[in-house]
Amino acid sequence: MADGQSLEEPPKVKKAKGKTPTGPLFTLKKWNAVAMWSWDVECDTCAICRVQVMDACLRCQSDKKQEECIVVWGECNHSFHNCCMQLWIKQNNRCPLCQQEWTVQRFGS
Amino acid sequence: MSHSSTTNGVTTASSSNIQDTPSSSADTQRVQRRKRRRRRESSVTTPPPSKQQKINFPLSSNNHHQHNNHHKTSITTEEVHDMDSRASPNRSVSAPVESNHKISLHGHATRGGGGVANGMKKSGTPKKIVIKNLKARADVQPMEYCKEAWSKLKKAIEAIHSSQPICYSLEELYLAVENSCSHGLAPELYGNLKTECQEHMSVHLPEFNQDNVDEGSYMIIIDRVWVSFCRQMIMIRSIFLYLDRTFAVPHQTLPAIWEMALEQFGDVVSQPKIRDRILRGILAAIHRERCGESADRTLLKSLLRMFVDLQLYQGVFELEFLKETEKLYYNESLRMMRDSEFTLPDYLSHIDKRLSQENDRLIQYLHKTTKKPLILCVEKQLVGEHLQEILDKGFESLLEANRYHELILLYQFFGRFKDGIPLLHIAFGGYIKKSGIAIVSDQERDKQMVQELLELKDKVEKIIQESFQNENKFHQVVRDSFENVINRRQNKPAELVAKYVDTQLRSGNKEWSDEELDRLLDRVMVLFRYIHGKDVFEAFYKKDLAKRLLLGKSASFDAEKSMLLKLKQECGPNFTSKLEGMFKDIELSREMMSSFKQHISTTKRVSGSIDLSVNVLTMGYWPTYTPMEVLLPPEMGFYLDVFKDFYVRKHSGRKLQWQHSLANCVLRVSFDQADKELQVSLFQGLVLLLYNDTDQLTYSYISQATGIIEEELKRTLQSLALNKVSRILLKQPKSFEVNDTDVFTFNRSFKHKLFRIKINQIQMKETQSENIATSERVFQDRQYQVKALVHASDLKKRIESLIERDYIRRNEENTGIYEYIA
Repeated sequence: MADGQSLEEPPKVKKAKGKTPTGPLFTLKKWNAVAMWSWDVECDTCAICRVQVMDACLRCQSDKKQEECIVVWGECNHSFHNCCMQLWIKQNNRCPLCQQEWTVQRFGS
Repeated sequence: MSHSSTTNGVTTASSSNIQDTPSSSADTQRVQRRKRRRRRESSVTTPPPSKQQKINFPLSSNNHHQHNNHHKTSITTEEVHDMDSRASPNRSVSAPVESNHKISLHGHATRGGGGVANGMKKSGTPKKIVIKNLKARADVQPMEYCKEAWSKLKKAIEAIHSSQPICYSLEELYLAVENSCSHGLAPELYGNLKTECQEHMSVHLPEFNQDNVDEGSYMIIIDRVWVSFCRQMIMIRSIFLYLDRTFAVPHQTLPAIWEMALEQFGDVVSQPKIRDRILRGILAAIHRERCGESADRTLLKSLLRMFVDLQLYQGVFELEFLKETEKLYYNESLRMMRDSEFTLPDYLSHIDKRLSQENDRLIQYLHKTTKKPLILCVEKQLVGEHLQEILDKGFESLLEANRYHELILLYQFFGRFKDGIPLLHIAFGGYIKKSGIAIVSDQERDKQMVQELLELKDKVEKIIQESFQNENKFHQVVRDSFENVINRRQNKPAELVAKYVDTQLRSGNKEWSDEELDRLLDRVMVLFRYIHGKDVFEAFYKKDLAKRLLLGKSASFDAEKSMLLKLKQECGPNFTSKLEGMFKDIELSREMMSSFKQHISTTKRVSGSIDLSVNVLTMGYWPTYTPMEVLLPPEMGFYLDVFKDFYVRKHSGRKLQWQHSLANCVLRVSFDQADKELQVSLFQGLVLLLYNDTDQLTYSYISQATGIIEEELKRTLQSLALNKVSRILLKQPKSFEVNDTDVFTFNRSFKHKLFRIKINQIQMKETQSENIATSERVFQDRQYQVKALVHASDLKKRIESLIERDYIRRNEENTGIYEYIA
């Protein structure tokens, strides 16, 4: 980045119609960037249903509720499909991975 | 007699009831027919043919009974009476008085113009007037009278036979017959008549036995004898009508007069020598006609009707005729099949011609019973015996050349045979497969594969529509054949179909209107339907769709949606849910950008000189891309960080991964001549931005400054330096290969007629690596299913693995059952 920085200096000078050899030749007008988002998780797979957390859990897939299938993080920083976890804590209110008491840290949105 | 003139032995009555065919004495024949039917159920009697003859006989009054087949049994005394009354329209009622003891006057005396009934009826009369005073005159000897009567009749018969005028009135003769019958002398009269006719036949014998005439003349002679026989017998029968009706027809064993005469005639003609001579003549004439010569069809018709009347048609003529026909067409078809000069279209039109000739023959002179066996025989010899040979002779070239007319004929002819159409199906399918495989398996033709397959499909479907009556089974053949063809080669067709759709949906394709495009997509969907490897299609389709969406290259959003809907209908929502997700990502990103712009305008954290827009894609929906790190100028890097903060704050629990290889940008450039805008990839942009500082840079410097990986950077530099129309950088040395020591100089004097210039990425066999990657991904996804399907042992392993991972468990009671664990 250091090189880039030194190179970027000239553009900050006023633009001189491009006729003079020292003027800023190139100006960035428009930039279409692309990013890929994914859940910020330690493990890609939901330990409860064994489906990738980026995909909906099987239940939601078959119910055509892919959109509603969000991810939940516990205080332990482990993450699961929220609907999988809802079922899980009915039996056992502990994180299936670390056995800590399950407390929701945040929901994916 | 006074009101009749005699011409050529035939009485012409002044009555208007004139008919010119022998069948005019309709009711007589009807009786006769009724009797015949009683004896031989199946025999068909048709009235003898009429040619030049013109017989006018007063008894033949019932015009409307000409087509008497419909009411054979409907003769009534009323009709007879009516007829009789008209037979003597102007005659005085007194004529027969002398010979009758009783005179019955019919109640219809007042009917018609002077139509007074003569008292011939003994029954069925509503009124009866008996003249008692005439008893005294009843002593005329019946026997004597009858003798006299017969001598009159005999003279008349002789006159008729010798075509001389009759010297008695027909009325007189008729009465003579009637009176003789009334005196119980009918059997004698019948016997006398029979003997008389028999004798006459023997007069004709020499004519039948002429050896010194040729076939043609012989046939003419026989025909003449037959025609005059018919004419004479009709006349005689009319005179003896009363005898026929009251004696011969009701008689259990004796034939009616007409039939009796026919039997006598038939006895002569049936003699093998005579019969075969006539038969040979007829067959020879037909043969000559089939060979293109002309024939006297009237003569043939007359003789064949004679055969029909004499019961010689089916048993003698038809049998031989069909044999001859079979032989002729057997040889003909064999000759033509072997003759390579004779093409299938020639052959088909030949069959068509032959069939219409034979049909013409049927109408012109053959009897209608021959129709079925004759046509069947011709078709069998010309078509049925050679079904496969005909197809081999050039069916494919007919299809190739779209010879609809010939194909119609072929379809018709083949349709006459049980095996015909199935063979046609097979050959049709064979053609499609052959043509299709040629298209699919030739790698040189990959580019046109889909287009050519679509054209082939249109072509064969047009043929089905035009020539095969749009028969369903043919469409089935098309489907099966295409399915076979398109899956002959693995994956490539699926890939090409996906690419084809991409080409159609991409902007810049102004070839089609919306409706046309939709129709085209429908046609492509049909091809898609045949493809087994739908996952291959999906992978390539998704890759292309991603490009269209990210580069804004989609021609029409509606068309995209419509295509998506088609895929959904075809493969179900699971197939398209991710594709739909891609569209959704683009929409959401657009919304996001407008709120982001609001956000930065309020916080003013970045300068507004760069117009940034970000497409945020959901991982998993989109194809997998390898992220590539680059060194961004600080301003740009900072900008992205601002967006990232904004995004993550908005969506908790998400992380963003930049996909720089997919990004593009617009640069404003000042060349010596003019300012231009360059539309470039982000990588190209990053390289060009380095030239704000200096005009000349080495490869290694650029590489260091941008951090773009070698392969990409080389490609990027090539695109900037090697394209003739968009050469922004000048490369030293001017080779294609890019080396570390190469120097790239900014081309200040760059000229271009456009203001905005798009600099294409070099499609470094874009697909080659990408393509392989896509295919490999498909196979990885597939492998579990494929393996499980192929090997039972693998299936067990898969099950084990599922149990291990607690997806399923074995049923405790029955280990053959697996339970799904929710």
